[in-house]
Amino acid sequence: MLKTLAILRRELIAYFSSPLAYLVMTGFLLLQGLIFYLVLAFLNNPGSQTMAPMEAFFGGTIFFWLFLLFVVPVITMRLIAEERKTGTIEVLLTSPVTEGQIITGKFLAALVFYTALWLPTGLYVVILRRYSDIDLGPVLAGYLGVVLIGFLFLGVGTFASTLTSNHLIAAILAFVGLVALFAVPLVEQLLVSDSLFKAALGHMDLWSHMEDYAMGIVDTRHVVYELSVGLLFLFLATRSLEMKKGR
Amino acid sequence: MIEVESLSKVFVDTPVVDDVTFFVPEGQVLGFLGPNGAGKTTAMRMITTFLRPTAGTITVAGINADDDPVGLRRNIGYLPENVPLYPEMRVNEYLRFRADIEEVPHRHQVARIDDVVERCLLSEVRRQVIGTLSKGFRQRVGLAGALIHQPTVLILDEPTVGLDPNQIIRIRELLVELGQDHTVLLSTHILPEVETVCDRVLIINRGRIVADGTPDGLRSRMAGKPTLEVAFKDVPEDQVLGAFESLTGLLGVECLDDGHFRLECDPTGDLRAPIFWLAVDRGWTLLEMSPGKASLEDVFVRLTTDEQADPAEEA
Repeated sequence: MLKTLAILRRELIAYFSSPLAYLVMTGFLLLQGLIFYLVLAFLNNPGSQTMAPMEAFFGGTIFFWLFLLFVVPVITMRLIAEERKTGTIEVLLTSPVTEGQIITGKFLAALVFYTALWLPTGLYVVILRRYSDIDLGPVLAGYLGVVLIGFLFLGVGTFASTLTSNHLIAAILAFVGLVALFAVPLVEQLLVSDSLFKAALGHMDLWSHMEDYAMGIVDTRHVVYELSVGLLFLFLATRSLEMKKGR
Repeated sequence: MIEVESLSKVFVDTPVVDDVTFFVPEGQVLGFLGPNGAGKTTAMRMITTFLRPTAGTITVAGINADDDPVGLRRNIGYLPENVPLYPEMRVNEYLRFRADIEEVPHRHQVARIDDVVERCLLSEVRRQVIGTLSKGFRQRVGLAGALIHQPTVLILDEPTVGLDPNQIIRIRELLVELGQDHTVLLSTHILPEVETVCDRVLIINRGRIVADGTPDGLRSRMAGKPTLEVAFKDVPEDQVLGAFESLTGLLGVECLDDGHFRLECDPTGDLRAPIFWLAVDRGWTLLEMSPGKASLEDVFVRLTTDEQADPAEEA
């Protein structure tokens, strides 16, 4: 546990000493601010449907997903790829640390950074509360959804980072993997006959998961899906790191 | 302390380490020599469990690498080639990180960091960002990281490569000091370093051990027939060669570039006195006469370029 925390702490130092981190944070907040503004402008239109602003903000627009699909690969691309490129992976793997501890520490650091990206958006809730009554339940569920979807996406990104020593290739692999996961509902719609497979694909629709979270519905099936797929990719990342030793 | 038995590593049908067996007792400093691509780094990486062997067993401090790799790594301090470090961290932060992952108890960490900072002469840069340090300092930071948990075994892969002469001397002094209380496996290309630091030398070529012994032992083993190097003042070469024909026990003469002659002698006799009287009789001034001695360089070059080197004979 202490060793995992040490790796987490070191990774956070790496994140916050990199100009890329501040660039990502600034860009993220600017664009989220713009989306928040657009959502409010849209909902202020008398002809628009009635909807809680934060519900629309969380997953109600394609922008939410575009950000995740681009930002997560940037967050995870250097996790293991950088260690392999600079050779520091040799220091880690020859100390009394297991591959699982390395992956866990690095993944948790990515999750902390990802969560830190979203924290300032809590200000939007404060602003909304000044002008209207808002139900905090769906807001909190929305943030839970953001973290759970992030858990899954960061797991995919961490796995992609173990596959290469090149940042850019790691980011591209993560992006392709995330798009593939995100596109699962499209496959479901292409299937004509009702089948168990079609039903299973239906449960993997991340967009509808996030819509539920944003409405305050925390369906345990969604939670289990996000966590289990995220953990599956972390397991694959650990195995991938172990397999490098045989080469 | 380090026991390696029938160790092999094959990369895509090419054996990089081929059936290597050796034992390093506690407290010994073993120099691991070999040309580039000989398999030194691969062998070291397998001993530290960074690479999985294709065949063979590795035991360090009584712990088998297959049974308990993490336990084995607790006993090893490893400095990889090119000293990989985190350039964004400060020296203090890095050593704290290494102490954490090397399981140094929290209450001892400050003392351990102070100790390695002092030992590796890092006091003046301990708050500096690693990326801004010179190569010599970075080398010492890597070494300090390898020492932080007081390992019983140190494995150092070319610790002085790329350093300037002053830095090499400092690191070498540190290695001599470390050799007093650690078992050290040291890979290097710098042969004088081996003579200064190592108790024993192991030469590896094309993945196989071609020589194993003390530096002096290897030199004498490789010296072959005794030789003498002789020089006279202002005597023509043909006259000297003519005079040498009268010597009994002389097996061959080689004229060197600088007016010197290398004489290959019969091991049963001593030609020094006859050569002295040969010079006296002819009124020649004898400038120099010294027994030839094979250097470790000679041994290294011969063993790593001679395809016929027989490991069994040299070991």
